[in-house]
Amino acid sequence: MIIIENLWYRNLAIDALTIKPGITTIIGPNGSGKTTFLKICAGIIVPDSGTILIDNVPPRQTDVGWVNEYPDRNLLFVNVSDEIASPLRFRHDSCDSVDTAIKSYAGTMGITHLLKRAVRQLSGGEKILVSLAAALVHDPTVLVLDEYDSHLDARVKEKNEQIIRSSGAKYIIRCTQQMDTATHSDHVLFFDNGRVRYDGTPDQVFPFLKGTAYYPLLWGCLSSESP
Amino acid sequence: MGVLIIRITLNRVHAIRDDWSLAASGTFDEGVHLVSGDVGSGKSTLALMIAGLLPLSGGSIEKEEITSTMLSLQFPELHVTGLTVAEECTSWGVPPDDILDTTGLSGKREVSPLSLSRGELNRLHLACILAKNHDLLLLDEPFSSLDCEEKEKLCTRIGQTSPGITIIFTHEQEILPRVTRIWEIVDGMLVDCGTPPDAFRNWHHVPPIIEKLTALGCRPDNLSLDDLREAACRIRG
Repeated sequence: MIIIENLWYRNLAIDALTIKPGITTIIGPNGSGKTTFLKICAGIIVPDSGTILIDNVPPRQTDVGWVNEYPDRNLLFVNVSDEIASPLRFRHDSCDSVDTAIKSYAGTMGITHLLKRAVRQLSGGEKILVSLAAALVHDPTVLVLDEYDSHLDARVKEKNEQIIRSSGAKYIIRCTQQMDTATHSDHVLFFDNGRVRYDGTPDQVFPFLKGTAYYPLLWGCLSSESP
Repeated sequence: MGVLIIRITLNRVHAIRDDWSLAASGTFDEGVHLVSGDVGSGKSTLALMIAGLLPLSGGSIEKEEITSTMLSLQFPELHVTGLTVAEECTSWGVPPDDILDTTGLSGKREVSPLSLSRGELNRLHLACILAKNHDLLLLDEPFSSLDCEEKEKLCTRIGQTSPGITIIFTHEQEILPRVTRIWEIVDGMLVDCGTPPDAFRNWHHVPPIIEKLTALGCRPDNLSLDDLREAACRIRG
């Protein structure tokens, strides 16, 4: 479990929140604290006060994969293959195992053709795919994705949804502005003005959002979705 | 005196890079055009070429009666020149107070634009661009990072743009404006899918929600939320 208690960071305040293993999707207006919360989960920033523990340890002592909402802020290296290899090289994996992992992930994600490219030549969506590969290649316990899907087309997004689900990451915490994506989650958090306004399964949260822009258009119309 | 017709014609335009290529031919008349395509298919490349910021590998682009062109890049951070949000507005030649009021960023007037969330920065950037009229407006992934309410507002705003050509390059699948014509890039070639709703039949990148509505016998007339809601109401009866 991820257990958060009395957490404060600037305008973000969460008294108590528990996140179970699975896919947790955060939705809400721009500036409501989604990215701040994700950065705390990833250990990129530490709260001013309060605690967050992931299976009883702080985020900075947990293996985390992270994709920033700004595609260029994910990329440290000149070439795609070096970028994807970097988490493995930082932990001193052998050259052979690094090469095998790069080829495996690139193949799975359909980006083998990009491996020799310079990252500056990539499109926005391609940069995100490379960032996602680098986030996943070291088999993180926690995968944190900040609106990574805002750069992807529907087919690539669907394919990567399956890759993310089968990645083995125990906790997948992401935010999105695609409400259809949010419906396919185990847990939904609606943030508003630095607070968790609604918290629960999609069935529990979306009824509260009826009449707002955050209510999935066909929610309840189709048999595969709950009323 | 005859009526001036605004138009862009792409004559066998080509972009070639290593083993990747893009070919584009077609005519963009006045109205709102949507260009879709897979990741890396060349949407941004095409936008840059139409804007005149990227040399063509071949072919030509003919622009008729277009006196002002504006390209909104995919990454709003690349447009930033001001040290503060207010300076950024001024750099676009628009009064900061008006923009900050409409974007809800009045409280962030003196902060760096690069400290905004990406959605806030995109909201600021689009408000500055849309504050002026442009004969040719090229919007590369304008919906990226905007929250659902802001996406809806942007669609409304695009529908209110003055006469001219607006071309939206996007993979957004849920919240879109009413458009005049739909295009897509498939296998390295720009394809004219036609006008909605008939274009939905030919469109490889048709949004899943339109596919679902069509399968239920309620094909929407166009892409806007109003059109989708009207179609969804037909399901509910």
